[in-house]
Amino acid sequence: MTEDANDSAAVRTDGGESTMSEHEHYEAIVVGCGPGGAAAAAALAENDVETLVLERGVDAGSKNVSGGLIYAEEAAPYTIDDLFPDFREEATERPAEEYKMHNVSGNKVASFDLEEIHHGGTEWCDAVLRREMDSWLADRVHERTRETGGGLLTDVRVNGLLREGGEIVGVTCDELDPITADVIVAADGVNSELARDAGLMNWDEPEDWFQGVKAVVDMDRETIEERFDLDGPDDGAAHLFSGDLFEGVRGGGFLYTNEDSLSIGTVFHLDSIAEERAEPQDLLDALLTHPLLDQWFQGEYEELEYSAKLVPDSKKVANPSPHSGRLLLVGDAAGQMQAQGPIIKGMNHAVSAGGLAAEAFQDAKTRGDPTLAGDLYEQKLEGEGVMDQLRPTRYEATSWLSESSIATSIGSAVMNSPIGRFGVKTFDGLLEKSFNSPFVLGMIPDTKISYVTVPTVIGDVLGEPVSADNEIEPPDLADRIGDLTYDVGDPHIEVLDNSYEASGTAVTACPVSAEDFGGGCYRSETVESNGSKERVVSLDTQPCVECGTCAVVADTHWEHPAGGKGVEFKQG
Amino acid sequence: MPEIDPTEHEISDLGPKVNQVEDADELREMLELEESGEDRTPVKTLIESRIETLEAEDEEPEDAGAVDLSEKTAADVGNLIRDIDEVEELEALLEQEESGENRDSVKRLVQQRIDSVQGSDDDGEEEEILPPEEAHPELDHPTADKKHVRALEDGEYRDMWVYCETQHGELLDVSKEMLGKARELMDGYNEDYDEEEKVVAVVIGDEAESIAEETVAYGADLAVFYEDERLGRFRHKPYAEVYCDMARGAGHPYGREDRPEADWHDYDEPRYAIFPATHNGRDLSALVQAELDSGLASDCSDLYIENEVISNPVKTGAKDKVEFERVLHMPRPDFSGFEYSTILCLDSPRREFHPQGASVIPGKFELPDPDPEREGEVVEHSFDLDESWLDVEVTDHDRLEGGVDLTDHEVVVCVGRGIDRDPTEGIELGVELSETFDDGAFGLTRGVITSSFQFDGHVEQYTGEDRQIGESGQEVEPTLYIAAGVSGAIQHKVGCEESDTIVAINTDEHADIRDWSDYYIHGDLFDVLPAFTEAVESGSVDAALQNFGAVPAGGGDDD
Repeated sequence: MTEDANDSAAVRTDGGESTMSEHEHYEAIVVGCGPGGAAAAAALAENDVETLVLERGVDAGSKNVSGGLIYAEEAAPYTIDDLFPDFREEATERPAEEYKMHNVSGNKVASFDLEEIHHGGTEWCDAVLRREMDSWLADRVHERTRETGGGLLTDVRVNGLLREGGEIVGVTCDELDPITADVIVAADGVNSELARDAGLMNWDEPEDWFQGVKAVVDMDRETIEERFDLDGPDDGAAHLFSGDLFEGVRGGGFLYTNEDSLSIGTVFHLDSIAEERAEPQDLLDALLTHPLLDQWFQGEYEELEYSAKLVPDSKKVANPSPHSGRLLLVGDAAGQMQAQGPIIKGMNHAVSAGGLAAEAFQDAKTRGDPTLAGDLYEQKLEGEGVMDQLRPTRYEATSWLSESSIATSIGSAVMNSPIGRFGVKTFDGLLEKSFNSPFVLGMIPDTKISYVTVPTVIGDVLGEPVSADNEIEPPDLADRIGDLTYDVGDPHIEVLDNSYEASGTAVTACPVSAEDFGGGCYRSETVESNGSKERVVSLDTQPCVECGTCAVVADTHWEHPAGGKGVEFKQG
Repeated sequence: MPEIDPTEHEISDLGPKVNQVEDADELREMLELEESGEDRTPVKTLIESRIETLEAEDEEPEDAGAVDLSEKTAADVGNLIRDIDEVEELEALLEQEESGENRDSVKRLVQQRIDSVQGSDDDGEEEEILPPEEAHPELDHPTADKKHVRALEDGEYRDMWVYCETQHGELLDVSKEMLGKARELMDGYNEDYDEEEKVVAVVIGDEAESIAEETVAYGADLAVFYEDERLGRFRHKPYAEVYCDMARGAGHPYGREDRPEADWHDYDEPRYAIFPATHNGRDLSALVQAELDSGLASDCSDLYIENEVISNPVKTGAKDKVEFERVLHMPRPDFSGFEYSTILCLDSPRREFHPQGASVIPGKFELPDPDPEREGEVVEHSFDLDESWLDVEVTDHDRLEGGVDLTDHEVVVCVGRGIDRDPTEGIELGVELSETFDDGAFGLTRGVITSSFQFDGHVEQYTGEDRQIGESGQEVEPTLYIAAGVSGAIQHKVGCEESDTIVAINTDEHADIRDWSDYYIHGDLFDVLPAFTEAVESGSVDAALQNFGAVPAGGGDDD
């Protein structure tokens, strides 16, 4: 681009005299360039909508973590490779061809094949590392949105909504002047500040969230193919783990094969982590050091990256009406993350939602009234069946029963009684079948029975003992933190009530903090003032991985760091 | 039966297919199929809108005046107007867009077409040139109070001028960087264009002469300075007046009449002028370039000189393409560095824009090594300041305190979260030990600074952020570094690992710090520190280390 200094705006005067209404304007602003934002931006650009994409990371993907499987479903209105041809060749790791679930009880393990449910309705499913994937998407998004007169800007944190006369008209940023738009697609992730600004999401209940913690482990491609028995680079495996290896905390573990690394992680109900005062990094280590994993590590372990994120439980928080005025929420920002039993699907729904949001805006424009976009988007989510997957009616119908603790303890008692155990043995084949049934999975209650008791009993009764010694030593928290690079800038989290009662849970639940560890975000301290001792927490945001856990379990004012600041994931 | 059955396709494939169908009836059949089949709203919208487009085309073929722009994308409009040569027709389209969708992209396209059509109509015929206020009386003219243009006609421009900013009697690094860059640019320029143009350093201030001499060593051929004790601090009015008076040669139509001729300044104005993009440099550059009635590319990150072929009719007149010579290219970051624009400052057919001016971001060019052997001319500029330019007086000024400097000491004592049992006493003990040394300083880890420890008033001066050692604080490399109650996180290590000798005091034998310290004392800092202080006072550090059974630790062999 060339322009003339003497008759262009190159001489900028930042006198602050400009009137409020003279903002830079785009037809569409997309906040966040993960899969949801990228899909929305690509679909908008396809329709020649002038689209500006704002991303707070130094690079798209530098803030993004996922367990690591992206699905393309046959029935989905949009899939990522529809919108971005060559996606699988260029941006993904290995396909998850093999899909197994391991029920663990002590050293006994019973393994089920879940390929039926995994492959059913699935066009393809690949493991991904988000830094690579998202930055690849971002390059394409930038190219396409530039043609519309917009483009993608990194290092820009959108910090809120711009309103005029009470109406949402644009966004405000840390780094740029406010920008207005006809439509704002908030794809700013699980801790979406825009969704909260608009009152569409909150951080109130630990029950509404899962917390995922992940380690990316170095392993060269030949070794992976040999140890996982894969047929070359276009073959891969996915393994799930549940049972008693997590000290009774509700959740499970996963392992996916990448091209030349493994993604291994755990996902737990946040309320369970909070109640049990569990240390997420210890739960991850419990998985990593289980004898079952020795067949793959064989004594070698080099961790490339430790990461964490919150996962919305779409059954409870997927907002059925994720829009307000010109603002449309997409993906995690709208709670669109499907986690039912062993199935975890999020990115595919974000892609569908992004495409539908763009389509809704285009339809609204065609009808001559862009303000209809939100309502049309809601209809499309409903009409395309996205909402039913996220909030299955079956779950809504049975939730009153399955979530009551009386039912849990009865169920638990039955499972542990000789009759229940006998039942497991008798229905061996049937159990595997029922795990493969989307109908049954849709009803699975989020209680200890399904996550801990059933798999433990299955493992105990049906399992074969694993005799290997897994002697690897995962790095301690200080080393994990030390390996991540930080330039956090000003503290972006403020503890509003630092008493241990109000905010102490963060010391254990935060994945980079622990009791008796002084190098984490949250530390528990005893201070003496005026002769009386008091237990309080202190906070140093430097090691923060921006997962949002403390926003839910502690009393904080939580924001993201400014653009380009804070944690930078190299794997993601 | 239509060729395409929409129910057999995904929505995403249908767009291009539908838009290729030219027959409205066929589309209606497709619509029926969809309605009786999948009945997807977006598909129906798609087909309906194609039908409407086709029908609109049928009704009024090729008459652009009747085209409804609101239904067209910017790209469609671009194609449509390519064939229109009538200015009135284009202007009608522009008006329609303004009263309709009012898309900037579309207006720009139409306006460009108008410009190019008009340009080719000119055929060399001289158009009457009116000042903008008269040419466009209907517009609001925010610059209407600027009654005249000070640009030159057929001016003579030479040399590259570098404004060298100083602070506290020293050249700023950015001034040296610009001189180095200017040297490189003008050496290339003189060779390319077979010229002998100079790098001219401009120095204004209360001790300007000695600095002007220094600029020669960094690459100036000639330094012109203006020295006045009243100009010790930057004040924009007198600085801008002095600069502009220097810049305008003798006989300049807008310069002062008694400006004497000077051999070195046998031209009207500088060809190029560069300034630092500092607070003061930005201020001065804007004033100077406005007074000289040229443009300014602010905050540039690079500079180079090249010829450039330009096709913009505003710059070329009626001609298609003109090659501009000796153009200073001024790339600058936009949108926090995501995009770069290259700014050119070009003469227009009816008006000259010189000097070509830029301000330069500090640190973008290499800091040159001075060459004390270089020779150059130093010229004093004489000029009377108008008293009224000095009305604004600097009555007070303050140099911001750098806080506590821990970086240049023989010994640094640092305490960490190990003081939690009694934070106030922990600080006291650490400070005491640091004061035992002739040149000792006291620091803290980030863990202490971000803790909720309660400190008594008398030690609070030692607990501020300005004493933080580590990645986000200060990096120290003393001869002796004593770390008490410090676990040794990587972020802390970065701040002290270059110290000659590191002594760690910790109750935890497995603390990470043991891996990279030279000596490790296993013990509680509340016991060790006071005794250590005593031992140092009465003997030596070595003796103190021996007293405490310090053992060589992991990092002992790195020096």
